[in-house]
Amino acid sequence: MSAVTTSEKTVDRPLPPRAPYILETRDLVRHFAADGSLFGDKAVVRAVDGVTLGVRRGETLSIVGESGCGKSTLARLLVRLIKPTSGGILYQGRDISALSEREMRALRRDLQFVFQDPFSSLNPRMTVGAIIEEPMRVHRIGTRAERRRRVRELLARVGLRPEFADRYPHEFSGGQRQRIGIARALASGPTVLIGDEPVSALDVSIQAQVINLLEDLKEEFDLTLILIAHDLAVIRHMSDRVAVMYLGEIVELADTDALYDRPHHPYTQALMRAIPVPSPHARDMVAELTGDVPSPLAPPSGCRFHTRCPHATELCAQKKPHLEASGDNRFVACHHWRSVADSAAGLSEEPARPANAAHRLALYRAWTKKQGQNPATQSPTDQAPTVPSEE
Amino acid sequence: MHSDADSNPSPLLAVDNLTLRFSSASGNVVDGVSFSVSPGETLCIVGESGCGKSVTALSLMGLLPMPPAQITAGSAMFDGKDLLRMPRREMAAIRGNRMAMIFQEPMTSLNPAYRIGDQIAEVVLRHRPVTRKQARARALEMLDRVKIPAAVKRLDDYPHQLSGGMRQRVMIAMALANDPALLIADEPTTALDVTIQAQILQLIRTLQEETGTALIMITHDLGVVAEVGDRVAVMYAGRIVEQGSVDDVFIDPQHPYTLGLMSSIPSLSKREGRLTTIPGMVPTVDTMPPGCRFAPRCPFAGAECKAAVPPLTDLSPGHAAACIRAPLEAEAHFDGAVA
Repeated sequence: MSAVTTSEKTVDRPLPPRAPYILETRDLVRHFAADGSLFGDKAVVRAVDGVTLGVRRGETLSIVGESGCGKSTLARLLVRLIKPTSGGILYQGRDISALSEREMRALRRDLQFVFQDPFSSLNPRMTVGAIIEEPMRVHRIGTRAERRRRVRELLARVGLRPEFADRYPHEFSGGQRQRIGIARALASGPTVLIGDEPVSALDVSIQAQVINLLEDLKEEFDLTLILIAHDLAVIRHMSDRVAVMYLGEIVELADTDALYDRPHHPYTQALMRAIPVPSPHARDMVAELTGDVPSPLAPPSGCRFHTRCPHATELCAQKKPHLEASGDNRFVACHHWRSVADSAAGLSEEPARPANAAHRLALYRAWTKKQGQNPATQSPTDQAPTVPSEE
Repeated sequence: MHSDADSNPSPLLAVDNLTLRFSSASGNVVDGVSFSVSPGETLCIVGESGCGKSVTALSLMGLLPMPPAQITAGSAMFDGKDLLRMPRREMAAIRGNRMAMIFQEPMTSLNPAYRIGDQIAEVVLRHRPVTRKQARARALEMLDRVKIPAAVKRLDDYPHQLSGGMRQRVMIAMALANDPALLIADEPTTALDVTIQAQILQLIRTLQEETGTALIMITHDLGVVAEVGDRVAVMYAGRIVEQGSVDDVFIDPQHPYTLGLMSSIPSLSKREGRLTTIPGMVPTVDTMPPGCRFAPRCPFAGAECKAAVPPLTDLSPGHAAACIRAPLEAEAHFDGAVA
């Protein structure tokens, strides 16, 4: 039987000490050629446009932003799934931005990726066992028998039955497939795991299971976790630090609690105001930003956010603000952050749960935990795979 | 059995015991669902994939292919007529007119080959005795009302020329073009970014206040429920497990599934330790457990729960839950575990 050990040590994770950077980017740029007009110049999409960022060993760093902000491109650059147009990527101090495919292959053992869509990221013609074994085969890890054994251990570790190794991806639900994707990513024994929206395609209850799993695995395998996500509540729950991106640039980077308690950048503030809080007594959601994100083909002058920013002045249209330290280990790219920061304290606050709700949720928690400890009850997804019914 | 009648004296739509199955499956996809909506009211139907919320909406709109779908029991009274037994032609006269729907993915629900102005005008022409010119004027008026900038220029755009948020505005313009009494919105903001979602939800709320349209909002997001809903029905595996005013359900949640959903959502305000999840997975239509369908995943379930389907029972006026254990704290046995 598989057993999902629910380690309690991750309950309130202390902030890790300022560990050294394991992965860094220096003025990283990635442009894509877009289909230009028939006779004109080729247009250029500035997907990632000058990102300097350090990821500390052992931390969970999240990159948040809306569609088209470049967060997925940045994630792929970090593990060199794509090559940068310019700038540096350093893994353990070594510049990997210009390494050849062959040189990169060895490094892929360390840098693994979990994709958003569990339906398109697993080869439908391979068994689950072969999918999980593949990274070990590629990196020539262990003998065949050892690899097979490892596959079964990994399956059990992510909460699936070891026998599932002989089945095919289509037999599993979205949540189970995401667990398979995670098992595959762990197979080569990575140091860094990058998840591109790893839980956003899942239903809330399944999402919570996978979040807990990722947190446990991070602890157990001593991983550095980089999460690309758009759900600010999930990010608050999982991250030590957060980088907010807008149109290819980082506009704010801070420790999670500091960022949520007092967002400095007007864009971060607008993101938080836009979230509908699941409580009827909470502040109303506010649609502060009008219009859409401008095209990355022709980003606005000066501060790229000035066209939608409620605090924008003439200066913002003319002069580009650089990411500057604003105390408390925080960086913000805004000319006006000093006057703007105070307007948004307490945005992420939720009212206390009403007494009845709080009491019953406590009951639910206590009894779910009790059932989980009972060896007679099933572990989370330890049931026969079924063809998922998607709506 | 629970009845909505007392809390809702003159509903616009009254669904009673809707039961629906697909010929390929052994269980009911929607199993005895009852709810009602009054003019100007917003009812949210919340639940996860496969709970039957979208199928319920589609069946009301007459948009489910039958076969394979088959309605085996129930009624849905709208304007004094049963939507579930309405001839096709009569349904076509109501749909897009007295009753309209917007979908999650505006790109697939707009016709890519037609200009958006023409698509909105067509809906008007179909149901109103107006000229082409008048219909086009109405299309322009609607684009203005959904706050599409430079609406005159946008009339001749094709859907692919618009952003996701703008397309959803066009869908809303089209749905509201004939002043429907009932609007059904199926996850209208799920595919959108949060800042755009906030714009669209605010727009829907404003338009609803102006027009008095009744709204059924289908969503998986309890945040959206708290933001726009007056009442909420929580669905699980084809059944409503809890129903009440949004305040009742958030302040006094009763059903263990509602509690499980709430505890699965991370908090925006602080990290509350490890998330408490709902173990296991939603059953498929072929593996529906007997009795309470949530029992196999419920920490409070006992043999009685698996023996019979728990009826949706009022716990206070207008607030009902389908759980024989509710209220949980009444059983000292459960309450003991908290300390």
